[in-house]
Amino acid sequence: MESRIAPKGTGGATSIDEFIEDVDVEDKAFLIEGRDLSGKTNIRRPPAPQVNAKEEDFIFMQIDTDYYSQVAPGFIKNENAQHDTPIIRMFGITKNSNSVALHVHNFTPYFYVKINTQYAPTLTPEDLLAIRDVLNKLATPQTSLEGAPSIPVKAVELVHEKASVMHYQQDKATFIKIYTGLPRYVNQLRTLFENGSVSYRGSAGMFENVTYESNLPYALRFMIDNEIVGMSWIRVKAGRYRLRERSERNCNTQYEIDVQDFNDVECLPCDGEYSKIAPLRILSFDIECSADKGKFPVAQTDPIIQIANIVKVHGDTEPLVRNVFTLGTCAPIVGSQVNSYRNEQDMLQAWRDFVLEVDPDIITGYNIVNFDFPYIINRSLALHMNKFAMFGRVNGTYSKIKNNTFSSKALGTRETKDINIEGRVQFDMLQVILREHKLRSYSLNSVSAHFLGEQKEDVHHSIISELQAKNEFTRRRLAIYCIKDAYLPMRLLEKLMCLFNLTEMARVTGVPISYLFTRGQQIKVASQLYRKAAEHDLLIPVDKQHISGDKYEGAVVIEPTRGYYTDPVATLDFASLYPSIMMAHNLCYSTLVPPHKVKFYKQEDLIKTPNGDVFVSQKVKKGLLPLILEELIAARKRARQELAKTTDPFQKAVLDGRQLALKISANSVYGFTGAQVGQLPCLPISSSVTSYGRVMIEATKEYVLKKYNKANGYQFDSQVIYGDTDSVMVKFGVPTIEEAMKLGKEAADYVTQYFVQPIKLEFEKVYCPYLLMNKKRYAGLLWTKPDKWDKIDAKGIETVRRDNCGFVKETVQSCLNMLLIDRDASKALDYCKGVISDLLQNRIDLSLLVITKGLGKKTESAPKPGEAAEGGDQKKPPAAAAAGNYHAKQAHVELAERMRKRDEATAPTVGDRVAYVMIKAAKGSKGYEKSEDPLYVLQNGLPIDYQFYVEHQIKQPLLRIFEPVFSNAEEKLFHGEHTRNIFVPKMATTSGLGKFAVVKKTCLGCKNVLANNTDVLCERCQTKKKAIYIERKQEMSVYEKNYADLWVQCQRCQGSLHEDILCSSRDCPIFYRRVKAKKNLEENREILERFLDW
Amino acid sequence: MFEAKLTDGTIFKKIIEAIKDLVTDVNIDATPTGLSLQAMDSSHVALVNLHLGMEGFERYRCDRNLTLGISITNLAKVMKLVNQNDSITLKCEDEPTYLTIVCQNQKHDRTTQFNVNLITLDSEHLGIPETEYTSEITMNSGEFSKLCKELYALSETVEFEISTTFVKFAVEGEIGSGSIKIQTSADEAETSRPEDTVKLSFALRYLNLFNKAYSLSNQVKLSMAAETPLVVEYEVESLGTLKYYLAPKITDQT
Repeated sequence: MESRIAPKGTGGATSIDEFIEDVDVEDKAFLIEGRDLSGKTNIRRPPAPQVNAKEEDFIFMQIDTDYYSQVAPGFIKNENAQHDTPIIRMFGITKNSNSVALHVHNFTPYFYVKINTQYAPTLTPEDLLAIRDVLNKLATPQTSLEGAPSIPVKAVELVHEKASVMHYQQDKATFIKIYTGLPRYVNQLRTLFENGSVSYRGSAGMFENVTYESNLPYALRFMIDNEIVGMSWIRVKAGRYRLRERSERNCNTQYEIDVQDFNDVECLPCDGEYSKIAPLRILSFDIECSADKGKFPVAQTDPIIQIANIVKVHGDTEPLVRNVFTLGTCAPIVGSQVNSYRNEQDMLQAWRDFVLEVDPDIITGYNIVNFDFPYIINRSLALHMNKFAMFGRVNGTYSKIKNNTFSSKALGTRETKDINIEGRVQFDMLQVILREHKLRSYSLNSVSAHFLGEQKEDVHHSIISELQAKNEFTRRRLAIYCIKDAYLPMRLLEKLMCLFNLTEMARVTGVPISYLFTRGQQIKVASQLYRKAAEHDLLIPVDKQHISGDKYEGAVVIEPTRGYYTDPVATLDFASLYPSIMMAHNLCYSTLVPPHKVKFYKQEDLIKTPNGDVFVSQKVKKGLLPLILEELIAARKRARQELAKTTDPFQKAVLDGRQLALKISANSVYGFTGAQVGQLPCLPISSSVTSYGRVMIEATKEYVLKKYNKANGYQFDSQVIYGDTDSVMVKFGVPTIEEAMKLGKEAADYVTQYFVQPIKLEFEKVYCPYLLMNKKRYAGLLWTKPDKWDKIDAKGIETVRRDNCGFVKETVQSCLNMLLIDRDASKALDYCKGVISDLLQNRIDLSLLVITKGLGKKTESAPKPGEAAEGGDQKKPPAAAAAGNYHAKQAHVELAERMRKRDEATAPTVGDRVAYVMIKAAKGSKGYEKSEDPLYVLQNGLPIDYQFYVEHQIKQPLLRIFEPVFSNAEEKLFHGEHTRNIFVPKMATTSGLGKFAVVKKTCLGCKNVLANNTDVLCERCQTKKKAIYIERKQEMSVYEKNYADLWVQCQRCQGSLHEDILCSSRDCPIFYRRVKAKKNLEENREILERFLDW
Repeated sequence: MFEAKLTDGTIFKKIIEAIKDLVTDVNIDATPTGLSLQAMDSSHVALVNLHLGMEGFERYRCDRNLTLGISITNLAKVMKLVNQNDSITLKCEDEPTYLTIVCQNQKHDRTTQFNVNLITLDSEHLGIPETEYTSEITMNSGEFSKLCKELYALSETVEFEISTTFVKFAVEGEIGSGSIKIQTSADEAETSRPEDTVKLSFALRYLNLFNKAYSLSNQVKLSMAAETPLVVEYEVESLGTLKYYLAPKITDQT
C-alpha cells in the first residue's frame, strides 16, 4: 500500500553493489555500538580461581536472597537432621565476576507473643515446654516427600528485655519467642493466636491476640537479624565455610558454599571498595512470534521464530554478546552472530543452553515478565519440552508461571505474572518505567523516544508472519528489528541509571533488589523500622485492625490571589518538610502517649501537637522514626559531599543513586504511618505531621507580613499571594530579581528562627513573571541566580498532565514561553488564534490530537456480590466505590470494548493506556460514542470533531492562562475572524450516505458547482486559469516534498533506504503525518489531473 | 450583487428551524435561477437538500454564482428576530464577507436589519444521483411526524415495509416488538406506484429531526428503493422543495 506512490529515487535495490551499500547504511546503527561480535564464541564467565576455605575469607556481592526447605545435607550439623529445615540461599558475584551460591544453615524462624502481665512472673521453664506441646498439637504439621513430618514449634523461649514499639513505655514487657520448624508455621501460628484459639492452663487470657514480628518474609528476617542489606558485599571468614564438592552441588554457579552458623555471614558496609557494584552480567532479550494474520500469537499454536540477545558486563562499555536465534535461515547481520535452526525445539533448546552458558545475573527486556517469559515457557510445554524451562541457578528447578494481581494506591491495579528464576534478578524495564515515570504511552517505542530520543520501527504483528515466511533476507530484516528490541531495554537501563539507583535503594532500605520490582512501598520502610527497632529492643506488632474510612485533614493551601505578576515573586520552601517535622517534634510510634496515660507524665516532658495528640519529648526518649530520618538525612548529606569530591563516573552514579534513594526513603516514612491499609498505620503520627505543616505555613505568612511592610521601613508592603503544603509565595514588591532574592534569603533565615530545629525555611527561587491561575495551578519563569533564568516551571498545567492531547500541551507550552520568556501577551494571543484557526481547518497533526487514558478495570467483569450493594456507600473512598464496574460510560473504556470486538489481539487490556481521538458523530451523540482508535480513523478517513477539541480540550486551559492577563479572554480567543474558516470533513465513501452520494466537481477558483463535470474552472475563472494552475502546481510540490521527507525519515528510522516501510507505530507522530501527507498528495494529484485535458 | 426578497419571511424561518438540528455550517449556493443548499450531517448518515426557485421570490437577482458559507446555528438566532407576516430580504455584495438580512413588517413601519458574518467552508459539493424509486408514498406530514415520535419511544430503528396494499412501520426493541400498518385504501395514506415490496430500516433519531419540517407542508412524500437512501420530501409552497436523504441501516452498522 505504501509503495504505490513511493517518492522518486527510493526504489528497491537492484544490483549487488547497491545491495552492499544498503547493508552499510543499515548496520551503521549497530556498528556505533562497537566491535564485531559475529564470531564471538567465548561467552563463559572467567574461570573460578581455587579457594582455600581454611585460609581465605570469602567475599562476594549478593544479588538475591531466598530460602528453600530441605533436609540439611549430611556435612552440616543440624539438630533435627531427619526433618526438612529452612535453608537460606544467597546468590552473588565475586569481584572477579565468578558466580556464587551460598547456603546458610541453622537460622530458625521465630516470632513473639506478648504474655499478659499477671501471668508473666509465674512462668517456669516447664510451662514453656508445655506451651510448646500445646502449640504443636494445634498446628497442622506439613509432610514432605522425604523426611518425616517436621515439627511446627521447635522451642519456646521467655524474653524479658523487649517492649512493644507502640506507645511510649518505660518498662519492658514479657514475651515468649516461638521458634518454628519452617517459616510457614509462623503464619499458621499467628492466625491461631489472633483468633484466640491458644489457651494454656485452661484460659486463653495468658496470650495477647496480637503477635509481634510475625509477618516478615523469612529471608528478610535473616537479613535484618544479620544486618545484611540488599545488593551488599558479604564476607564469610576463613574456616567458617565449606566449599561443596562437584558431587554435592545442586546449583550451577561456579562456587557453591555452605555456612553452618548463620552468624558467620557478615555484611560489609557499603563504603569505599564495597560501595562498587560487582561486574554483573546483564542479558537483554526479545522474542518474536508469528501468528495467523490479524491474530495475536498464542503460545499453544504459534511458534517462536526469533530470539535476540544482548549481553553486557556491568562496567564495560561494549556488549559481550549480540546474537539472534532464528527459525529458518537468515542472511548475515554485520556485527552480530546469527544462529539458525531448522526446527523450533532445537532453537529453543539452543537458546536455553546459551542462557545457562552466559549465566546472567540480571535478565532484562521489555515486558519480559508478562509476555516473553510466559510465552517461552508455555510454548515449551506445548512442544512437550518438559525439561526445558530451567533458566535459574538451581539444577532441576523449572520456572513456572503464577498469576498475580498487584494493587497499590500509587500504581493502581495490575495483573502480573510471577516467574521463578532462582538466583537471577528479573529487571523488566517496562515495570521499572511504569513505577517511576508518568508517561502518555508505555510502548517501547515511545519510551525510547522519550528517554533516548530515538525511535524504532514498529512492525505490526500481522506482518511478522509474512516476513518470516518469505526468504532469508526478510528474516534478516525481522532479526534486525528483533535485535533492536533487545538492545533498547539495555540502553534504557543504562540511560536511566536503573542499576545504580535500584542497587542503592536496596542498600539504603535493606531489602533484596527483587522486592523493588514486586513489592509496594511499605516493605522498604518496614525493613528500616524493624532494623532500628531491633537496636532498641523494641518489637513491632502485627496488627490486623486497620483504620477504616476517616481520612485525616491534608495539607493547607493559602488561598491564591490569582493574577499575572510581572514583579518578582519569591518562594520560601521548607526543606523536606514532613521528615523535619517528625524529627523536630519527636513523632514516632514509640513516643506516642495514649490520651488516658497523659496524666502520668510531667507536662514539660510532653509535646502536644496542634492536632491534639501527645508525644514524649526527645529528652525523655528519642523516637525510632526521628532516628531513622536523622540517619537518612545525615547519610544523604555525606553522599552529596562525596559526590562533589568524586571524579570517577561510576562512583558518581552510585553516589547520586544513593542520595536519591535516601531522599525518597526519608519522604516515604510519613506515608508509611498514614497508609490506611498499611503494615503499621498510625493516624496520630500522620495527622500530627500535617497539622504541624498547616500551622507552620500560616505562621510563616504571619511572620513575613508582620516584618516586611512599610511600617518597618521597607519600601513596599509584602504580599503572600499563595502557599501550598511546604512553600509560601511572597511578593515583596521590589521590582528587581536581585532585590527579591536578597529579601527572600533574609526572610527565610528570619522565619526559620521561630521554628524548632531541624525545621528550616529555605529560599530557593524567584518567579518572574509569575502566572497564578488557581490552587496547584501556576506557571512562572524560575530564577535561582539574578542574571539568568533557569527554566519555566509549571504546576498542574496541561504541560505536565497526561489526560489531554499533545496539541493542548504544545499550545500551552508555547503560550507560556511567549508570556513568560518574551513577556509578550499579545503575541501569545495571536499565536493561540492561529492555532485555533488551524484546528478548525484541519491543519493539525492527528498525532497531536490523540488523548490517552489508563484503562483501570476490566470492562467485562461483573461486580462481585457485596460490592454492588456497597457501591452507594458514601463513606467509601472513590476507588472502592467504583470497583466492580465503571458506573458512567467513559470514552476510553467504551472504545477499548469496541476495539476488543474488532480485534481481540490489538485491543488494550487492563493497565494499558488507551489512545483515542474524538470523531464527528450524529448531533447529540454522547462523548463515549465519539471516541475512536486513531489508526482506525486514519485508515477509514473518519472526520475529527474539531469542535470538541476547541470546546473541551483547548478552551479551558487557554482561558485559565489568559484570564489573569486579559479581562475578556474568551471573546478574544474564541470569537472573531479567525474562527470563520472551517474545514468540512470529506465524505467517507464507506459509511452512511457516502455509499450513495457523489461528489460534484466544483470550480478550483471560486468553489461554485460546475455544470459540466469535466470542466476544471467555471467560466468566470477561466481568465485566471494559468495563475490557478501554477498555484496548484506549487502546492503539489510542497506536498511532494513533505511526503518525501517523511518517507526518508521513516526509512532512516528503519535503517534501510531500499525497502518498503512497514512501520505502523501508533506512538510515532511521523507515522500519522506520513499517512496524512500521502492522503493530501493523492488528493492534490487528482485535482491536478483534471487540468491534464488541456 | 445578490438580492432575494420573500414576502412571507416565516417560510425561510421555518426552513432554517427544520435543518438547524441536523447541520451546523453550510454553504448556500446562490445562482441566477435560485437558491440551493445541500449539506451532510456530521455523522454522514443524512443529507439535506434545499432548492428554492427564483420564481417564488417577490424579487430575485443574482448576477453571478455565489457560495455563502453560513453558520446555521447563528442564522437560527437571527431568525428569532423575524415576526409573523414579516417579509425577508437577503442580500450581499459580489465578494461578500457578510450576508445582510432585512425584515420588514406588513405595514412597512418597522425594519430590522442584521449582517451575519460569513464563514469559509472547505467542503465538498454532494449530490444524490437520480434514482428510480420503486415505492413512493405520500401521507399527512403531521401523522408521519407523530408516528415517528411514538415509535422512537419504543425503539431506535424502524423498518419500513411497503407493498401493493399496505405500508407497515415495524419496531423491535428492549421492551418488545410491534408495528403500525396502514392500508393503502385508507384515507390518510395512499401508495401511488407500489410495484414491489420494499423493506428497509432507518434510524428514527434522524426521521424525527427531519420531521421538524412538517409545518412547511401538510404532505410528506417518502420515496424508497432497495439499497438506496430514503428520501423524505416536503414541498415548500410555490418556492421549491426541502429533501432529506437518509442512509438505510445495514445490520452490521450502527
